[in-house]
Amino acid sequence: MSVFDGLRFRRGSSPIHQLDPRAKFFYVIVMFVVAVLFNELLPLVVLFLIQIPFVFVARVQREWIRSLRGAAFLAIIIFGFNFLFTYLSGQYELSYVLERSFAMSLRFIVLVESFSVFFLTTSPDHLGLALEQSHVPYEFCFAFTTAVRFVPVLAEEAQTIMDAQKTRGLELERGNFIKRIRNYIPILIPLIVNAIRRSLELAEAMESRAWGATEKRTNLYVLKLKKSDYVLALLSILLLVLAVYIRLFLPVPQLGVVLRI
Amino acid sequence: MTVIEAKGLTYTYPGGTRRALEDVSITIEKGEFVILTGPSGCGKTTLCRCLNGLVPNFYGGKLEGEILVTGLKVSEHQIYELARHVGLVFQNPENQLFALFVEKDVAFGLENLGVPRDEIRKRVDWALQMTNIENLRERAPHELSGGQQQRVAIACVLAMQPDVMVLDEPTSFLDPLGAQQIFDVISRLNKELGITVVMVEHRLDLASRYSNHVVVMDKGKVVLDGEPKDVFSSEAARLIGVGIPKATRLSQVLEMSGVRLGRVPVTSEEASQVLKEVLSRD
Ligand SMILES: Nc1ncnc2c1ncn2[C@@H]1O[C@H](COP(=O)(O)OP(=O)(O)OP(=O)(O)O)[C@@H](O)[C@H]1O
Ligand SMILES: [Mg+2]
Repeated sequence: MSVFDGLRFRRGSSPIHQLDPRAKFFYVIVMFVVAVLFNELLPLVVLFLIQIPFVFVARVQREWIRSLRGAAFLAIIIFGFNFLFTYLSGQYELSYVLERSFAMSLRFIVLVESFSVFFLTTSPDHLGLALEQSHVPYEFCFAFTTAVRFVPVLAEEAQTIMDAQKTRGLELERGNFIKRIRNYIPILIPLIVNAIRRSLELAEAMESRAWGATEKRTNLYVLKLKKSDYVLALLSILLLVLAVYIRLFLPVPQLGVVLRI
Repeated sequence: MTVIEAKGLTYTYPGGTRRALEDVSITIEKGEFVILTGPSGCGKTTLCRCLNGLVPNFYGGKLEGEILVTGLKVSEHQIYELARHVGLVFQNPENQLFALFVEKDVAFGLENLGVPRDEIRKRVDWALQMTNIENLRERAPHELSGGQQQRVAIACVLAMQPDVMVLDEPTSFLDPLGAQQIFDVISRLNKELGITVVMVEHRLDLASRYSNHVVVMDKGKVVLDGEPKDVFSSEAARLIGVGIPKATRLSQVLEMSGVRLGRVPVTSEEASQVLKEVLSRD
């Protein structure tokens, strides 16, 4: 759960929150591409570090750290597997293997980091708007924002059902793994039935408010790209160009070697 | 001017065994405040659904008879065409709010109709102001109380500036004070804007002071239809189990014990007036 905790939006008004989701998404894509371009440790450390100012400007350190902590477990597994397989192949010396394995888990951390900055600073309604303005079909955008809107409602409902079933003697924490999963069936069924009934009522309400009246829907809000959005996009492009250039024309030294000098 | 005219409406839900509506005929004039009441399962919600075309367009099945709303034959128009003229507020406010915050929800219908942006802005502000929830505009629906949600639901429909507003038990999730506030809002829309109101309601004690037309249904049929005082004082209303306002009930008891009141009170103010007159008669 804790990885998702780090991805949940909280309200804020920092300059990062004000950025257009499209610009921020472009930045995430660039981060993604650059991280995949390199499997050496040094550039990945740089990538990790240059994102930290964003986190602090947006004042989402706590959530950010929580998301990293959530990702740490997977990162360790990635490290373990890489270490095991590169080392067992017997072609490389230990320091190289260590560094390479570390780089692989750091790459994962960098991806989580950039996604978490994106989701921590982008409100779902801005995201929905951005989707709409990127010519994603409206039905899809609507489904997205509605899903987000009903998350807290369903969570509360699940809690209520859980309490109700517990008072009737349902024991959730009992038995082996399979048994425990089966314990959740009396909670899932009412939850699903309720969700279906809810969706029918929603459909009725949407129809009653002229859903589908015209192809050319208007929108109360528009997202406009501001100067800061262009700056972010430009920086991202620069980073991308630089990374491609380094990849193609410059050798990337091992971090261990650099530090020893 | 007649806004709603139903003749011989008969309807069974697809897969239903019983008729939900049976030979329903009513006429509602412009500017009326109609209360629709009757025991559970008598077809009130179904009748509301007929008024904006959910029955038969959304639910399917065959609607016999004829119903005209603001001059449009319901069975021949899409729900979204009718939505410009008839606004329907549902019983459960939670499931009719689907945006992430209030303002966006109120704009939803207008966006669907393709209304230009400045016009949407104006109408949203106006609807929020009429329902007294300007301060809630940035809130998420799950941060609102039941009464606030219900007002947002009303604002959502109001923004579309319908000629008729149909409200299906708009206060069923509220305490009496919350209900009172909702009634005040609805009454204001009725009086100031001349919107015709059809409201399904059981709390007749609170609601009947606003109404000038009461329709009572039972088992899919309209059994009583007329002015509040006539409907409430009829024997049939008592037998069906309609929650007759206490003032009317009191007058019935007094009449039975031989006190001649002269007229039938519906609200407590009227009752005290009538009683004063009776007492000063001697
Ligand atoms: N979606 C549906 N499908 C099938 N039958 C339905 C459906 N909705 C209602 N009915 C049936 O139609 C009849 C009238 O129901 P309706 O909901 O109109 O009553 P109501 O007067 O609104 O009752 P309540 O006061 O409980 O809301 C009932 O017998 C009910 O079982
Ligand atoms: Mg009903």
